[in-house]
Amino acid sequence: MLGQTIINGLLLGGLYAISAIGFSMVWGVMGIINMAHGSLIMVGAYVSYFAFSSLGIDPFLSLPLSMALLFVFGYGIQRILLNRLMRTSLLLSLVLTFGLDLVLANIAQLIFSADLRSVNTFYTSCSFAVGPLLIPYVRLAVFLLALVLAGGFYAFLNRTKAGQAILATALDKETARLMGIDPLQVYALTAGAGAALAGAAGSLASMLFPISPSMGLSFIGSVFVITVLGGIGSIEGAVLAGLVYGLIQSFAASLFGVNYQEIVAFVIFLVILVLRPQGLLGKRFYGEAA
Amino acid sequence: MSVPAVKHDVRRGAGLIGPLATATALLLMIAVPFVVGGYWLRILTNIYMYAVIAQGLNVIVGFAGYHAFGNAVFFGIGAYTAGVAITLGAPVWMAFILAVLVSVVAAAALGWPLLRLKGHYFAIATVALNMAMIDLIINIGGVTGGAQGLPLPLESLSPTDLNRLIYFLMLGAMVASVLIVLWLDTAPLGYALRALRDSEIGAEVMGIDTTLAKTLAWTISAAMTGGVGGIWGYWINFIEPGSAFDINLSVNGYVMMLVGGMGTVIGPVIGAFFLEIFSTIIWGQFIKIHLLILGLLIIAVVMLMPEGLLFYAQRLIRPRRRTP
Repeated sequence: MLGQTIINGLLLGGLYAISAIGFSMVWGVMGIINMAHGSLIMVGAYVSYFAFSSLGIDPFLSLPLSMALLFVFGYGIQRILLNRLMRTSLLLSLVLTFGLDLVLANIAQLIFSADLRSVNTFYTSCSFAVGPLLIPYVRLAVFLLALVLAGGFYAFLNRTKAGQAILATALDKETARLMGIDPLQVYALTAGAGAALAGAAGSLASMLFPISPSMGLSFIGSVFVITVLGGIGSIEGAVLAGLVYGLIQSFAASLFGVNYQEIVAFVIFLVILVLRPQGLLGKRFYGEAA
Repeated sequence: MSVPAVKHDVRRGAGLIGPLATATALLLMIAVPFVVGGYWLRILTNIYMYAVIAQGLNVIVGFAGYHAFGNAVFFGIGAYTAGVAITLGAPVWMAFILAVLVSVVAAAALGWPLLRLKGHYFAIATVALNMAMIDLIINIGGVTGGAQGLPLPLESLSPTDLNRLIYFLMLGAMVASVLIVLWLDTAPLGYALRALRDSEIGAEVMGIDTTLAKTLAWTISAAMTGGVGGIWGYWINFIEPGSAFDINLSVNGYVMMLVGGMGTVIGPVIGAFFLEIFSTIIWGQFIKIHLLILGLLIIAVVMLMPEGLLFYAQRLIRPRRRTP
C-alpha cells in the first residue's frame, strides 16, 4: 500500500513537473505570472483529443503537433500583447493573462462543449505488476516522456545559443542587450517555449485525466505551488518539486481523502512562502526583477 | 502610477459641481425603489454590491499596492458568518455586524503571514486562500451546511419589502465604503499606504510602520467585502461554497476598479456601474460568449487604458493638466 502510494505519486509527479516548467520559466525570465498557463495545458489536451477522436492519431504522436501549435500561439501573444506591457506594471500582465484564460476557456467550451472528454486508447487501462505494485503503462510512459522533455528543455537552455540568450536576459536584461541580444525577441521565444511545454503537458494529461474547458483551473493551482516550491525559473527545481508535490498529493489523498488535497497543497504553499521564499532550489535573483 | 495626484485636481476643479452631482445622484438612488420594479432594482442592488467589493479592492490594491486577487474570500467569510448567525437565531443586524467583525479578524490573522509576501506571491496566495476556503467549508460541514449549502430561515417580510430593504442596505454599504475611502484619501494612513505602495523600504525609512499600515488596509478592505457578503447571504437566502467564494467576484471587482481608476475615491463605483450595466444590456444577448467578451474586455482595458476611465475622462476635460 505504501509502495503503491509512492509509485502513484511519483508517476503523477512527472506530469506535474512538465506542467510547471514552462510556467516557472516564463515567470523567472520575464516576471510574468501566466494565469493562462492552465488554459494552454487545456488547449494541448484538446489538440490531442481532437487528433485522436477525429483523425485517429495516437496521443503520443500528436504531442509534437500540440507543442508546435502552442509555441506559435505563445510566441504570437507575447509579441502582440505582452511585450507591450513589459515596460509598465508587470502586475497588469497578470490581469491580461487572466483575461486570456477566460477567452481560451470560453472558446474551448464553444467548440467542444462543457462535456467531459477522454482519450481511450486500446492500451489505456493496461498495466503490469512489479511484485505487489501495479504500474499502468500509460502513466509510466507519461512519466518518462515528461522527464525526457524536461531534460531536453534543460539542454536547450544550457547548450544552445538561444537558450543561453534566455538565461542571460533573465540574469541581467541590460547587459544582455549590450551583448547584442534583443530582449523582446528572447521574451517571445521564452513565452513560445513555455506554451509549447504547456501543450506537451496537456497532450500527456489527456491520457490520464478527463478533458474539459475548465481543466486548466485545476492545473494552475498545482503549477503555482510547484513553481514556488521548486524555485522560480529553476528547471531542476520544478522537476524535483513536481515529484515532491505528486507524492504529497498521493499521500494526502490516501491519508485524509481526495477532498483535502487542495488544503494540504495550500498549507504547504504558505509554509514555503513564509520559511523559504526562494524555493527548494531557487536562486534569489530569479523572478525578483518584478 | 500617478493616479492619486490627478484625482486631487478633479476635486479642486469640480468645485460645487461635485457635491451637487453627488447629492442629486444620492437622492435619485434613494427614490429609485419607489419607481422601478424588481428587475432593475435587482440590477442596481448588484451594482452597489460590486461597487463595495471594488472599493474594498481599491483600499488594498489601489492604495497599498498589494494585489489581492482572491479578496472575495472575505465575501464568503462574511456571507457564511451572517448565514450561520441567522440560522442559529441571531437577529439580522447582529449577523451583519458579526460578518464584518469576523472578516476583520480573519484579515488581521491572515495578513500577518500573507502580507509579508511581495507582489505576485501575495496575489496568488490570496487566490489559493480563496480556493482553500471552498474546500474547507465543504469539509467542515456542520453548521455551514458543507457542500449542500446553507439554507437560511425564510424572512417574514414580503418580497417587495425585502428587496427594498436589501437595496437600501447595499446602498448604505456603498456610501459607507466611499466615505471610508474619502477619509483614507487624506488620512495619515492613506499617505502611509501610498508611500509604501511606491516604495516599501522608502516608507519604512520615513518611519512608517509598514506591517501595521498594510494590515490595517487589508482589514478595512475585508470589513467592506465581508459586510456586503453578509448582506448578500441574507438576500440570496441560500449560501453555497461555490457562489459565496466565487473567484469571479474578485475578478469582476478587480476589473471594475481597473476600469474606473484604482487609487481614486469614486473610480471603483464608476467602474461598477459601467461594467454591470454593460453586462446587463449587452451580455444578456450573448450568454454563450459571456466570458469571452469579459476576457476580451479585460485585455482591451489593460492594453488601451490601464489608468482607468476617470483618468481619461479628466484628460478629455482638462488636457493641459496632464503630466505624461
